[in-house]
Amino acid sequence: MSLLNYIIRRLLFMVLVMFGVSILVFGVLMLIPPGMRVAAYVTNEKVPPTAIDAMIVKYGLRDPAPIQYFRWIGKIFRGDLGYSTTANGPVVEGFAQFFPVTLELVLYATPAIILVGLWLGTMAAMKRDKPADHAIRVFAIIGYSLPTFWLGLLLLMVFYGFLGIFPPGVLSEKLLDVVTGKGWIRATGMLTVDAIINWRWDIFLDALYHLALPVINLVILESALIMRLTRSSMLDALGQDYIRTALAKGASQSTIYRIHARRNALLPVITVAGILFAGLMAGAVITETIFVRKGIGWWTARAALQLDVSAIMFNVLFLGVIFVVVNLIVDLIYAAIDPRIRLA
Amino acid sequence: MEKLIETRDLYTDFNTFEGVVKALNGVSVVVNEGETYGLVGESGCGKSVNVRSMMRIVQAPGRIVSGKVVIFFRAEDRSRGIDIVERSEAYMTSLRGDSISMIFQEASTSLNPVLSIGYQIGESFHFHRLTQMLQETIADLDGELSRPTWILPRGWKRLQKSLLARELRVLTHYKDRIDRIDHELYGLEDKSDGAAADRRHLLNRRRDRLQKESTVAEIFKRVPLVRSYQRRVERTVRRHVVELLRSLGVPNPERIAASYPHELSGGMQQRIVIAIALACHPVLLIADEPTSNLDVTIQAQIIDLIKQLKKTAISSVLFITHDLGLVAEVCDRTSVMYAGDISETATVKELFRNPLHPYSQGLLRSVPKVEQTGELATIPGGVPNLIAPPSGCRFHPRCPHRMAVCSERKPNLLEHSAGHWVACHLYSEGTR
Amino acid sequence: MGNEIAPVREASPSRHPGWQELAFSLRRLFKNPLTIIGLTIILFFVFLAVAAPWIAPPPRPHDPYLMPHSGWDMTPSPPSVKNPLGTLPSQYDILYGVIWGTRNAFRIGLAIVLANLLVGLVLGAVAGYFGGLVDEIIMRVADIFYAIPLLVIAMALVIALGRGLQSVVLALIILQWPTYTRVIRSEILVLRNMDYILAARASGSSHLRILFRHVLPNSMFSAIIVASMNVGVTILIVAALSFLGLGSDTGYADWGAMVATCRNFIVGPPGNRLAYWYLVFIPGFTIALFVLGWNLLGDAVRDVFDPRMRRR
Repeated sequence: MSLLNYIIRRLLFMVLVMFGVSILVFGVLMLIPPGMRVAAYVTNEKVPPTAIDAMIVKYGLRDPAPIQYFRWIGKIFRGDLGYSTTANGPVVEGFAQFFPVTLELVLYATPAIILVGLWLGTMAAMKRDKPADHAIRVFAIIGYSLPTFWLGLLLLMVFYGFLGIFPPGVLSEKLLDVVTGKGWIRATGMLTVDAIINWRWDIFLDALYHLALPVINLVILESALIMRLTRSSMLDALGQDYIRTALAKGASQSTIYRIHARRNALLPVITVAGILFAGLMAGAVITETIFVRKGIGWWTARAALQLDVSAIMFNVLFLGVIFVVVNLIVDLIYAAIDPRIRLA
Repeated sequence: MEKLIETRDLYTDFNTFEGVVKALNGVSVVVNEGETYGLVGESGCGKSVNVRSMMRIVQAPGRIVSGKVVIFFRAEDRSRGIDIVERSEAYMTSLRGDSISMIFQEASTSLNPVLSIGYQIGESFHFHRLTQMLQETIADLDGELSRPTWILPRGWKRLQKSLLARELRVLTHYKDRIDRIDHELYGLEDKSDGAAADRRHLLNRRRDRLQKESTVAEIFKRVPLVRSYQRRVERTVRRHVVELLRSLGVPNPERIAASYPHELSGGMQQRIVIAIALACHPVLLIADEPTSNLDVTIQAQIIDLIKQLKKTAISSVLFITHDLGLVAEVCDRTSVMYAGDISETATVKELFRNPLHPYSQGLLRSVPKVEQTGELATIPGGVPNLIAPPSGCRFHPRCPHRMAVCSERKPNLLEHSAGHWVACHLYSEGTR
Repeated sequence: MGNEIAPVREASPSRHPGWQELAFSLRRLFKNPLTIIGLTIILFFVFLAVAAPWIAPPPRPHDPYLMPHSGWDMTPSPPSVKNPLGTLPSQYDILYGVIWGTRNAFRIGLAIVLANLLVGLVLGAVAGYFGGLVDEIIMRVADIFYAIPLLVIAMALVIALGRGLQSVVLALIILQWPTYTRVIRSEILVLRNMDYILAARASGSSHLRILFRHVLPNSMFSAIIVASMNVGVTILIVAALSFLGLGSDTGYADWGAMVATCRNFIVGPPGNRLAYWYLVFIPGFTIALFVLGWNLLGDAVRDVFDPRMRRR
């Protein structure tokens, strides 16, 4: 019963936070002069400069903030998100076009990061204070000190520039024509998935080939976090009394690590995994810019430079919502797994 | 009475940041078959370190520096015994939980919160009684197959049976090889020359490897297809777990086995910890202050349980406590420890009647008695720092009978009268 | 002999335990090789920043952050005697950029972190000490700020405020206050219930006095640790924003902006594919080294003061 309670409370909390997020985004929006904000209110065409003043009056862009807020929220709920100059179309369409690319990258990168982080972290905990441990920890510190953009560029220079493998972009030139041409079933927008649906294994492999370097980039940068958490979490678990009991009943070292310590150590990692997923979505801005993958990150970066207000605001709002929802899901999973919470 | 386990001149050090803590200063203890042995002393005197050294689960940065821990129950020659300080870690894992079990002070933290009770007790059976479990499961399957069944389930059961039988064969094969190595190691026990040491080393390594391999066979069980027949073995194990719980007086054992530690009360948790320790009928149960954190009524229940179990399931109990009252009630013989030394060893009656060591005398005097009036007697001073302990007899700074020799030489543990040993210079001159 | 105790040598109480602990901490700190490395790196950068006007004299003294350039050729030049680290497109000297960029980084980093510390101290103290509704409100608002990924909303805020370095600084100050506030608040929550605070209340001290004399000094410590660990993250975000083109204008000594210029020059001409390695490698490496220094130091400090690790 209290699990249900917990769920309900979290849902309410989530609604509240999303409300707050919208206010925050709106606050930032209001800092932008009305002239530039007009684009957010027009759906289908770009606004010629002469019409701006008329638009400002028409959409009440000088009205008091609370009124504008409710109007803005209303529009969002009705699905009217404005026009994006960088996408050359309504924001919604731009989203449908760009989001799958980002989603694909994140879906491949997240498990890779978690697995590498878990593996290194467990190893570091098992060989504590030995050379392997120090080496792994140093790798971790370097990993999260590196600027996201720099590593990507370096990798590109070495692998693509020098060795000629792992080119940027999502797909090779000739295959791009296939994907944008007729006869192509665009089920999800994610190239690897669509390639399987269209039964084009060459496209599938090519897409993976183009995914490799961005994923490697992200793994190097982000696994450090998971690795450190796993390590300290394992060490915590290993210091507990129940390990002593397991030892006293004749458990081998491997059993102690694998079963007794690790299960306890994994719990915090789940929470972080959620944050990682949401964070990768946000961090896509840099990664996609460097590797020229046209996802929402790439879109946001261009929108920022071209002052495409509706696109920026939408993306910020979207990422906030994603973050909150993912956190909720992670909390629920955690509650379902940890027997202490599930059966409390 | 036959000896069960013995430590001879055990020295254990802890290499900490502030210096080397000399926790055990040559401890010699003998526990006989069928007796309840008490280990008494103040906090920090080394009682826990002593028993952990006996089981070789001293936590880092501690290590056994010198001395022997000899067990007699697995030896082919009961008079000679096996020194387990030199044995491999794999040997110790087969020993712990099987022949020697240990229960600890705080039951609630001793249980893994994310594993069910049934699983945690079942582990004991899994580690040490796997052959028996496999045999019983095969027997079950035989029983089921002898009755008429449909073709499909029949085929499935036969498959399970053959897989289990194969596993049993593999395990038995490993066991045989390990036993042969143990036998050879036993023969090499007393030899101290280089060649013998090398051979011992080699054999230990081989034994470790074999033991690991025999569990690598277990690792195949993690392959999905294989898991389904493993479930039958789990069922057998669960049966034993439930029976064990029932024999310990746990109500509703099936439900308890399915639940998790945090759902149980403190007394029940301690019972579970005891169940885990007793699953394989150990020869020796070491209880490290098992009741110190419990209410008095629960304490009485647990003590009764241990007493009862000693009659039925275990041979000997090594009971650690700082409570002299408990010692009087539960133990047959006892040792008093102070700052890493055994100061006195005797039967409980003898110790209470005629304490010889000034420390024991001080301890007994400081227990408040009903008819006592006036101030409580105390032992002046405090427990010494074990990084830089007092020279000679570690108790001499606080001893009212201190002599010159006490700060120079450590007194040996000598037999003063039959079965009554004391380590004190007051008695080493003359009396023997 | 009676009940006398033999004389035992006691530890001299002459050194105040607080100082002893500090000395112990410092000794532990310096035993860790990573600390030494981190400190060396940071000191090196400090030197660069302080000595900038002398080792890299600005061509335009009133605008020293504008990098000198010798020509307008868009192709970067490799390292030479004139430009020891090579040049960016449009012939801006990389070495100059690195040195003055250090100064820039310190300026920005310190400004942001100090401002955040101040805000965090005030808000955290108020939230933690007074509790109740005020606390709830502050923490909920902090939660909301946390819900949106930092980089993206920083981008939006910088756009809203107008592109430029000041906007970046302002945006980060505005967006990072929750981190510091939370830490200070949790420290204060712990301290608030300690006996000596209750004793101070009982003897009549006012809230403000307690805050300043007892609570804040003790929580400063954690704040400093968090600040030192946060410098790295902050600089990375600033660099990222500059990289995306939202920070300094072209030609200014800003590491992130310098990295951005290499995007067209990742691959060199055939036959010398790594021709522009200096462009891709050096500015980014400077950032990485700088952040690494701070992270190493922050890590080491945290390890030393983590109660679990202290006595091993």
